[in-house]
Amino acid sequence: MTDANVRQVVIDWLDDNVHFGEAESLITDDEMSFLDHGILTSLGFVQLIVHLEDTFRIKLERKDLTRENFDSLAKIVKYVTAHPGYRATA
Amino acid sequence: MSLAGVEMVFFLPVLLLLYWIGPRRIGWQNPLLLLASILFFASWTPRLLPILAISILVDWILGRALDAAPEDANPTPRRRLLFGTSLAFNLCLLGFFKYAGFFAASLNDLFTAMGLPPSLPVLRLVLPIGISYWTLSKLAYVADVYWGRLRACRSLLTFALHASFFPQLIAGPIVRGQELLPQWSRPRHLTPSLVAGGASAFLLGFALKAWAADWLGMAIATPIFSEPLIYSRGARWIGLLAYAGQIFGDFAGYSFLAIGVGRFFGVELPLNFRYPFLSRSLPELWTRWHITLNRWLFDYIYGPLTTGESFFRGRFELGFLVVFLASGLWHGAQWTFVLWGLLHGLGLVVHFRWDAFYKSRCRRDRKWVAVRRGAPYAVSAWVITQLFFVLTLIPFRTPTLAAAGEYFRLLFVRGGHVGLPIGDLESLANFLAIAAFLLGYHVLELDRLRGLRDRVLGLPAPVRGIALGLVIVFFLIFVPVGLGTFIYAEF
Repeated sequence: MTDANVRQVVIDWLDDNVHFGEAESLITDDEMSFLDHGILTSLGFVQLIVHLEDTFRIKLERKDLTRENFDSLAKIVKYVTAHPGYRATA
Repeated sequence: MSLAGVEMVFFLPVLLLLYWIGPRRIGWQNPLLLLASILFFASWTPRLLPILAISILVDWILGRALDAAPEDANPTPRRRLLFGTSLAFNLCLLGFFKYAGFFAASLNDLFTAMGLPPSLPVLRLVLPIGISYWTLSKLAYVADVYWGRLRACRSLLTFALHASFFPQLIAGPIVRGQELLPQWSRPRHLTPSLVAGGASAFLLGFALKAWAADWLGMAIATPIFSEPLIYSRGARWIGLLAYAGQIFGDFAGYSFLAIGVGRFFGVELPLNFRYPFLSRSLPELWTRWHITLNRWLFDYIYGPLTTGESFFRGRFELGFLVVFLASGLWHGAQWTFVLWGLLHGLGLVVHFRWDAFYKSRCRRDRKWVAVRRGAPYAVSAWVITQLFFVLTLIPFRTPTLAAAGEYFRLLFVRGGHVGLPIGDLESLANFLAIAAFLLGYHVLELDRLRGLRDRVLGLPAPVRGIALGLVIVFFLIFVPVGLGTFIYAEF
């Protein structure tokens, strides 16, 4: 899998669960903060994390579950693709 | 001594003078603030000062030990033990002071119902002031060190100040190590923006607490909740709305006072309330009301519970019930608070299911997406959310479950002949002015009106100065200082 796959998984999840097909148009910049721009709430984060873990069969470290790692599309893609579990299965 | 009390008129200026005339070094500023915090705590419960000191010492030692313990992908048994010790220590301390009497009384009631003699002694202990707040703050610190999100604080003095900083000691905001610890490690400097930001937060907090909350409580909510039978149905509804205004003013007011006082010392505390009466869903409400408690509950209970490997993984609805039962119990050792928590947990479950149902409709037909974005949906969602929130304040206010049920029933039946407890023109003017203030505070945050508010706030400094001066004169003349109590300080 590639960075584009991870990005698409996140977009699909947002489309299916939060923004109904408009996530791509709402996220004008991959660096855009999800929390500051109302793309996702902290409750949504919890569900997205479970979805990412189940989809990519990885276990996210509790210490890594911070705004610095998950507050934008770019950050999520960077974190997931750098995860040892992801690289092992990619 | 409280932030809106008479004593603060003497305490705060003296402390600020000492703080700012002294050297701008943490070696002067931190010990002075710690000493002030000790005095502040001692002004409430002096005999329980050792409890606070011991609990700070224990968590500081455990934090340092966690930092020294080797970190691995999975927590080692040693790290688990250290974290578990802190968890057990803090929960036992909180449980002993806050819940021992409640559980003993509840078990005695159960024994009586079973025909057995009530045999457990019911302790009525004096609570160390703010124990519910500083316990959560310290637990967050130890959890963050355990999870590797924060390095342990090396200085006991700094950690003691972090845990006991007096503006946030008795009613929050509940701060995290990441927010406050870095601020203690650098000297604070006095700047005009700091003074202006502090003054505006302080003034807003004072208006919400000493004017709006205290007046609504004393003049409207308390009389009506004390004798609901004699009041008309409309008055009962207004009594409930007044209580909503009171509790918002009380707690948001205290939070703004804390933020303002923090800024006077060059310390930035996190926002605790953000226009909660604009919320259009329960999840949104909990990101606007008592923000620091709810993020604590969601980050340290809900998140680990529903994303961990336990039975709760992915069971998001069950997580809501657990979190809000915990929130209810945190607010008070009474069954009324448990009911309040249960209602909000169930409310979130209903919202979650509705959301899932609505999403399924959106997937089938995109017209539902447009409906959801329309004004009728927004207004309906706002009405339902606010009505639910206000109605669930009944068990928050009443002393027993029976009284809560009775007040709820009385909202829907014909009432007595007494209208609102407003006897004169001055009371009526005060009531209308407070209602306009609370309404305006929220409405000016709406997209369409925010520009107007920003233009007013952007007026030249002398104009704003005169306006604020008039507000202060109004408070000095009409608002009695230090009469009310802080509802949230009792939690």
